[in-house]
Amino acid sequence: MSNRSSVALGLAVFALAAALPLLSGILPAIAGPYPMSLARSVFTYMALAVTWDMLLRSGQVSFGIAGFYGIGMYGSAIAMLRFGLPPLLSILAAGCFAAAIALLFGFIILRLRAIYFSIVTLAMAEIFRIILHNGGDFTGGAEGLILPNLISNGDSSLYWLALGGVALAVGASSWFERSKMRFALTAIRNNELQAKSSGIGIFKYMLIAFVVTSFIQGMIGGIQIQSYGVASPDDSFSANYTLLPLAMALLGGVHSTIGPVVGALLLGVVSEVLKLKLPYGHLVVYGIIIVLVILFMPKGLYGFWVKAAKDRRSAAEARREAPHA
Amino acid sequence: MVVKRAVMYWLAFGLVVGVALLMWKPMVLVYGIQSAGLYAAVAIPMALVLGIVHIVNLSHGEFMMVAAYATYFGARWLKIDPYVALVPVALVMSIFGFIVYRLTIRRALKSPELNQLILTFGLGIALSQTVNLIFTSQSWKMYLDYVSASATIGEYDFGIYDFVFVAAAILLALGLRLFLTRTRMGKAALAVGQNPRGAAIVGIDVDRTYAFVFALSVGLVGALGAMFLTKQAIFPGVGGPYTMKSFCLVAVAGVGNITGILWASLALGLAEALMNSFRDLRDWSSIIFFIIIFATILVRSIKERKA
Amino acid sequence: MKRIVVALAVFALVAGSAFGQNVIKIGANWPLADAGSVEAANAAQLAVDEINQAGGVVGKKLQLIVVDDEFKGDKGIAAIERLVTVDKVDVLFGGYASGVQAAQIPTLKKYGIVTLATGAASSALVEKALGPSPESDFYFHLHPWDYEQGQSYVDGWNAIMQKYPNVKIKRIFLAYEEGAFGSSSFAASKALYANTSFVFDGASFKSAASGGSDYSGVLQAAKEFKPDLFIWGGYAQDAIGIAEQAKAMKFAPPIFVGAPPAWPADAPTNPLVQNEVAYGMWSPAINKISETSRRFTEAYKAKYGKAFTSYFAPLSYSGIYILADAIKAAGGTDKASLIAALEKTKYASPLGDTITFTPSNVIKHQGIKVQKIMQWQNGTQQVLWPFEAASANFVYPFSFPK
Repeated sequence: MSNRSSVALGLAVFALAAALPLLSGILPAIAGPYPMSLARSVFTYMALAVTWDMLLRSGQVSFGIAGFYGIGMYGSAIAMLRFGLPPLLSILAAGCFAAAIALLFGFIILRLRAIYFSIVTLAMAEIFRIILHNGGDFTGGAEGLILPNLISNGDSSLYWLALGGVALAVGASSWFERSKMRFALTAIRNNELQAKSSGIGIFKYMLIAFVVTSFIQGMIGGIQIQSYGVASPDDSFSANYTLLPLAMALLGGVHSTIGPVVGALLLGVVSEVLKLKLPYGHLVVYGIIIVLVILFMPKGLYGFWVKAAKDRRSAAEARREAPHA
Repeated sequence: MVVKRAVMYWLAFGLVVGVALLMWKPMVLVYGIQSAGLYAAVAIPMALVLGIVHIVNLSHGEFMMVAAYATYFGARWLKIDPYVALVPVALVMSIFGFIVYRLTIRRALKSPELNQLILTFGLGIALSQTVNLIFTSQSWKMYLDYVSASATIGEYDFGIYDFVFVAAAILLALGLRLFLTRTRMGKAALAVGQNPRGAAIVGIDVDRTYAFVFALSVGLVGALGAMFLTKQAIFPGVGGPYTMKSFCLVAVAGVGNITGILWASLALGLAEALMNSFRDLRDWSSIIFFIIIFATILVRSIKERKA
Repeated sequence: MKRIVVALAVFALVAGSAFGQNVIKIGANWPLADAGSVEAANAAQLAVDEINQAGGVVGKKLQLIVVDDEFKGDKGIAAIERLVTVDKVDVLFGGYASGVQAAQIPTLKKYGIVTLATGAASSALVEKALGPSPESDFYFHLHPWDYEQGQSYVDGWNAIMQKYPNVKIKRIFLAYEEGAFGSSSFAASKALYANTSFVFDGASFKSAASGGSDYSGVLQAAKEFKPDLFIWGGYAQDAIGIAEQAKAMKFAPPIFVGAPPAWPADAPTNPLVQNEVAYGMWSPAINKISETSRRFTEAYKAKYGKAFTSYFAPLSYSGIYILADAIKAAGGTDKASLIAALEKTKYASPLGDTITFTPSNVIKHQGIKVQKIMQWQNGTQQVLWPFEAASANFVYPFSFPK
């Protein structure tokens, strides 16, 4: 791909991402229910991808997204069915529940590093799933729970909820990028010993990041169940909810807010379009796309674009200087 | 001396637990060891790649699945036993592994670990979905009468075929150990695994070693695929759970520790079989795997911090 | 890369494709990575082609639009939204997994378009989400619910015991896979047998479909229970493994039953399943009693080059004919008249049954209620019960080949 077209592509994608707040604001006015339902699932994955990236900025790779997301789905369903909470409050309760569990586990597991942290978060998500699977009537057992009274049928409130979820994730992520959190998490990622010796309370910052991201992931689960109406151990804790956000963030470019947003948008839309064009075999192409992007854009689309723009600028400067030489 | 005493304590402890189990629930010992064999045999090639190439191969189980399909249709076509097809399948798979390494893995060696993870995840999707496209999601299971080989202890009749996986696991662990400590290529691989830069300085071709180790691991998991098919039904998604299980076992054993996988698998196999032997605990038996992972990793991290 | 830009443009500008008004559109969703669902989609297309060749219905051609639901709830919802608002279909069709269908129910209710469902057997999920009449009257459920399947086996075995006096069944053991599929059939069976003279027990196992590899625990429990009738409720992936391990453990109950949604592709050649009883809806043996079934089997093979193996093919084929007949009777796709016409359905299906819609425990429009009891004999599943469809005598008791 030539530099010019890659920059053009980059511009197009990021212009779209920049226009996203506006676009998503007016989408209900201009688009039908199908694009809106597609947007809802893109938003769900987007929020998960952004929150996963927030913790990644400390160097920790979590495999537990599906765990907190599933906890959120169940949390909201149980809050509504067993404690009679209204839907909106139940979403908040789901987030708080996930955050409380993250706080509890965080004290133990945030001292682990690298692959050990990843495996333990994976194990944690599985433990949640098995507990809910065996929870008897309270959790609905292997079949799970059905929510009878959903927030709305037919109007766009589900859309606004999903958009609210992603706005919360993006907001929290930008706060992380602008506040002391950014400095602390980056320092932990780059050189933990140095960070420690320069007086950064490593554990405190990681705990904040873990609890905040789990809170949002739990809320996203709570929001999602308002449109699904079903929480079941196999579907709510599906590995898709861990692996797809991970792939999206990586494709877009990690350690930023815009990267995961772009990655989720692209992969979400591409997978749907591929499916319609290629009913049989679209998942093969999906796998190959992931492989190719990782191989040829190792820093994700965002990193690729930044680099291409830089190259272009230096090439232009070189041209400008050439006649003088 | 301190190390030796610790080993003695563990051996004594294991012996006591083993004898107690044998008296109390002999079948737990039999079934526990059998499933441990399968877990360990599949996990060992993954540990090899992680220990030396430093890549977590999330398409590990999918390579096994591809090998199992190749064996099934090859053996059915030529009307031969899967065990006869094992060696050729392993060779073909290692060539396949080599090609995959050259085309993809090699280009991502310098990328962050995460990229490698998602790269192999994408490879796994492409492999399993291609098989799904060609062979559909239907499952296949060859009829082999020796799989139902049986033995009797007292009032219990039980299958003994699964001990082949125990033998395979032990053979793999010992074989790899000999290879890594006694052969030139193996020593080179070990050196590369410990310090690639240092190995390059003393004249070892790091890239060639990586290619060899990756191809070896895919070849081994291919051979296991051929064995796997004798006992289990094959379908496009059969590899996924084994990737996850292997990944967890490798972490419990500790990165680079191949014999550790044998012990970790044994502990998990026995614990699961024990849970399975109680009616009321059976529904919870899959949680034991994850609790052991959780506990082992935590305990080790605490120990390391103290040391 | 350009494609991605194009894809984005498509996303931004998804617009309803205006198609000719002279067609009646049937919108369907199935998980197309599943072999049985692919066969269902193929069979539906075959039925549509046949009907169109015969001149269509009420002067219009039928058009089938299939969208992959990928076994995912959100994709299933998006599929319905697309079919209804973009493709503007007249009726909805298909479905496979209960979890996906349950997630689709709120969306289906939102539009209330007449829906003929081919899958989704879990009553606790789908029937509960649907709720009672009249709010669920738009929904016609073809496949039997889990509790109806259970009830038909009780009826079937009682009938078989009367016909074959040497068959004695008192103790029944169910080995069920631990997921929603197996657990729901265990719960349904337990409730069912509580009021009968049968002694019932069961235990769970981890299916090979989700990484399980060992049935020793559940088989040991079954062996100690000494059942007259042993059933395993799992997936195709478990079929041979369970038989192999049972044989190794010398556990050969007088009646050995398998109740998976599909069997391994090579099961007919496997001596271990010989004389194992199979619960299901269709087998090639039906061709002997049903002319429709025979014609369908041949037409499917002629069109797609290979025989279908899943009962979802004849089920979905039946569904299209039921819809076409009802549209004909109603003179179009007007909701009220279409529902009224569907209620009068009486279709002699290739499954061997005559399909009508009657109330089930919760909803008003339930199609098939009876499953068949079949037995593997010489590589084919022969029908034992219902006796009207029987194609062979019951071979009893069960034993493994030497």
